[in-house]
Amino acid sequence: MWLPILGLILGVSLGFLTDIQIPQEYGNYLSIAVLAALDTLLGGIRAHMQRVYDDLVFISGFFFNILLAAALAFLGVHLGVDLYLAAIFAFGVRLFQNLAVIRRILLTKWSEVRKVSAANNSK
Amino acid sequence: MRRSWMFTAILFIVGFMVAVQYNTVQQPDERDTRDIWAIRNELAKERKLHSELLTEVRGLDETLKKYSGSEKGQAGQALSETVRELREQAGMTELTGPGIVIDVKPSEESIALGTPLHEVSPELLTRFVNDANRFKDINMEIDGKRITALSAIRDINGNTTVNGLPVQIPPFQIKIISADMKNSEKLYNFLQSSSLLDDFYLDDFVLEISQPAEDVTISGRTDPFENRFLKELPKGD
Repeated sequence: MWLPILGLILGVSLGFLTDIQIPQEYGNYLSIAVLAALDTLLGGIRAHMQRVYDDLVFISGFFFNILLAAALAFLGVHLGVDLYLAAIFAFGVRLFQNLAVIRRILLTKWSEVRKVSAANNSK
Repeated sequence: MRRSWMFTAILFIVGFMVAVQYNTVQQPDERDTRDIWAIRNELAKERKLHSELLTEVRGLDETLKKYSGSEKGQAGQALSETVRELREQAGMTELTGPGIVIDVKPSEESIALGTPLHEVSPELLTRFVNDANRFKDINMEIDGKRITALSAIRDINGNTTVNGLPVQIPPFQIKIISADMKNSEKLYNFLQSSSLLDDFYLDDFVLEISQPAEDVTISGRTDPFENRFLKELPKGD
């Protein structure tokens, strides 16, 4: 549990310390890539909790989603259609769905723990 | 364990991406709040600078042409001409041209009241020079001391000095030469209506500004150049 958090902290601090900035016109691509990455990450956590996690699916999903989102945004820019909105919508909805599933699983686990402890206490 | 490392790597990438995105969004730290008129003003200022720079470049091109076009014997002449021009620019030579003469005198009231005569303060003189320098291409002399980019107006042991030489107690003259008569007239009008007259009057002085004249002569700076930074290269280098 602590290792992934350490990875996150390391990534954020490296980003801030290097002070890397990308040109404004590519800001859309990065924002959508961040959204895709978050979506995949939450999907991975959900899969892990539902015990259907698969390494290959997770890693390929992570990079594929990012690339697809960026490609959609790129295509949208060249076609004059705000296609990145479609990606934002799709990823946004999935993000919330994943969050909802994770919340339910956590709630179920928590209520089970409570039931077990209540049963132990009554003994 | 492998899963944990994978999550760590992915979270590292996500964290990095988020930080970069944050940096990018925060990029313009200050919002540009200028309105269209402020931007137009700025543009006009830049255009003026542009045209000034072009004029300068043209002048330098001409000098370059003179050097390359002249034969060996004339190269020395071109060089000495450049030196003369530079001395003129630096205010080392006497200069005659259209300009105005300003007499600084004690005010009649102060004489009538018997106020003891005193010097013009360095602050007042500096203010005068700064105000006059709003006009470009002017050459100035205060009480016979030429004002150049290196001139200092300051108080030395209670005496007001220009270039380290004391300025006498009024009356004395300030002479300003402009590029042409038109500019001299502009300067004359500006000085006539400026608050400098009031500032001098508050210090018991009056400025009598003469009409622009065709031939005003100002003297050159007398003290030699001090070369502190340029160094001669040894031969063969």
